[in-house]
Amino acid sequence: MTEQPAADEGAPGEGTTDGGTPTATDTADGGTPVPTASVDAALASLEDDGLRGYNYAYLDEHTKREVRRAMLKAVAIPGHQVPYASRPMPLARGWGTGGIQASLSLLGPGDTFKVIDQGADGSVNAANIRRLADNTADVTTTTDTTGADLIQSRHRIPEEVLTDDQRLVLQVPITDPLRNVDPSDAANRRRHAHANYGKMWVHLYENVVEYGEINIAARYPTMVAGRYLMDPSPIPRWDVPKLDDADHLTILAAGREARIYAVPPHTAVEPLAFTDREFTVERFPDQACHACGSTDTYLVEVSEEATDRGADAFETRYACNDTSFCEKRREHPELSKDHHLDREGVDWGPGTPDAAADDDTGSAADQGGTGQ
Amino acid sequence: MRALGIDPVHDTRRTFDSLLAAMSRPGTVHDVPAPADHAVVATLLDHEVTLSTDDETLRDALAAQGRLDHAPHAVADVVHAREHTGWDVRDCERGSLTEPSDGATVVYRVDALAAGGGNGTTLTLSGPGVDGTATLSVGLPEAELTALAAAGSGYPRGVDAVFATEDRVATLPRSATVEVA
Repeated sequence: MTEQPAADEGAPGEGTTDGGTPTATDTADGGTPVPTASVDAALASLEDDGLRGYNYAYLDEHTKREVRRAMLKAVAIPGHQVPYASRPMPLARGWGTGGIQASLSLLGPGDTFKVIDQGADGSVNAANIRRLADNTADVTTTTDTTGADLIQSRHRIPEEVLTDDQRLVLQVPITDPLRNVDPSDAANRRRHAHANYGKMWVHLYENVVEYGEINIAARYPTMVAGRYLMDPSPIPRWDVPKLDDADHLTILAAGREARIYAVPPHTAVEPLAFTDREFTVERFPDQACHACGSTDTYLVEVSEEATDRGADAFETRYACNDTSFCEKRREHPELSKDHHLDREGVDWGPGTPDAAADDDTGSAADQGGTGQ
Repeated sequence: MRALGIDPVHDTRRTFDSLLAAMSRPGTVHDVPAPADHAVVATLLDHEVTLSTDDETLRDALAAQGRLDHAPHAVADVVHAREHTGWDVRDCERGSLTEPSDGATVVYRVDALAAGGGNGTTLTLSGPGVDGTATLSVGLPEAELTALAAAGSGYPRGVDAVFATEDRVATLPRSATVEVA
C-alpha cells in the first residue's frame, strides 16, 4: 500500500481504478505522495527528525572503540581478518552493516562521504546509508569520487584514481577466500596462521584443467604483502590491480561475519596466478559504453526495451558500471581516470585497450595489462 | 574523558583519525589533542581491554568511568609507558599465529618525535604503508627501539607501538621492516 498515492490530495480518479473510493486507512497508512525521480529525492521529502537524541554518528562510543581497535590492528597486520564485536544496525546484516560501522567510526563533521552500490550512487541501499550518515554525523555527502574523503562501496572500486587523502571502505559478505575450498573456519584459520595456501593453488589448477583459464569472476584470491591470502570482497577482477601499491587506505568490513581487514597504502597486492596462466581482467571486445563511449571502464550488460523494434523487443547494451564517472565522461569524453591528479600516467586498473587488441588472445597485456 | 581534558566524542575521533593515518603510513607524524598519550589511551580503552600504566592521573580518570581493567605489562592489551619502561618490551603479549591481533599496543610517551631526521634515535622504515623507505626520529634509547624491533621479528606475531609527544603521534606497526641506527 505504500506506493499508492493519497487519492484525496492527488488527481481525482487516480488510485481508484478498482472503482471504489480510498478508505481512511489508505491515507493514514503511508498515503503521502513522495517524489519518485530518485531515491535521494524521495528520502529528502521525508521528515528526518527521527534520529534526534542519538549519539554523534549513530554508534555509541563503546561500539566505535571496538571497531576502531579492530581497524588499527587490521592495518598493522595487512590482510589478516581481525574479529570484532559487530553490533546490530538499523538494517539487516548482509546489507552493509560492517561497512556502516566502519564508516561511522571514521567520519567526522568536516568529512565528505560518498556511498556506492555496485558502482551506482542512486540505489536504495546507498542512498539510505548516505542519509544515515548525513542525519547523525553532520557530514557532507557527494556522488563525486574526487570530492570524497571517505567512500563506502559495495563491490566496486571507483574508476577515478583514489588519492593519499582518501579512504575506501568495502562491504564484505564472505571474509575468507579459503571458504570456497574448505567450509571449516577453524581449519582455514590454521591455514592462515601458517600461510598454508596449497589447497587454493590446487583449486586454481583444477580451474585451469577444467576451463583452460582461472575461472573466478569475483572475490579473486589475492595475496597481501606476501603473507595473507585475502578475499578482496566481490569486486570484479578489473578492480583487483587497483589495490596494489595504492595511494589510499582500504578497509574491508564484514558485519555478518564480524571481521575487519585492511590493505594499507603502498602495499603489495598480488592476485594468485600461474606463470603460464596469468591473471586476466574482464574483457569487453569491441564494446563501448552506450552513454559515454568509454572503452577503458568496467562495463556491464543491460537489457533494455527496444520500442522501435516493436512490442516485447529487447536489446542488449553495454554501460559503464561507475555511474558518477560515466556522467563526467558524457560531458568530457576525453577525461582521464587521473584527471584530478598533478601527475600523469597513473597506473590504475586496466587501461584503454589498443585497436590491435581485438584478437582476444586472452593475454592480459592486450587489454592494458594487469596493472602489476 | 573530561577528567583528562579530552572530549569523549570528538577528541577521541580526531585522535583515532590521526592514529589510523599514522598506522597506515609508518614514519609520518600526525597532530592529536593534547596530551597525546592520554588521548591515545582514552581512544582505545574501555572495560573490554586491559591496561598497564604507572600514570596515576590516567588510572584515576579511567577508573572513575569504570573503564580501567589494570593488568601487568606482560599480559595487558594496551601498555602505556612514560620515557623508559624499566621492563623489557619483548615480554609483552604478542598474540598467537592464529590470532596475531591479540598482540599488545604499546603507547610510549616521548619528548622528541620527527619525520625525517631529528635529535632522537633514527628508525629507517620500509614495508606496507611506506613508499620506498621512510625515516623517523624517536626520543627513546636505541636499546628500547632495538627490543621493539625484535618483538616484531616473529611476524605476524608482535606488538604495535605508538609514540606520542605532547600533541603529536607516530606509530611502528609490526608489519614494518625497521632498522635502528
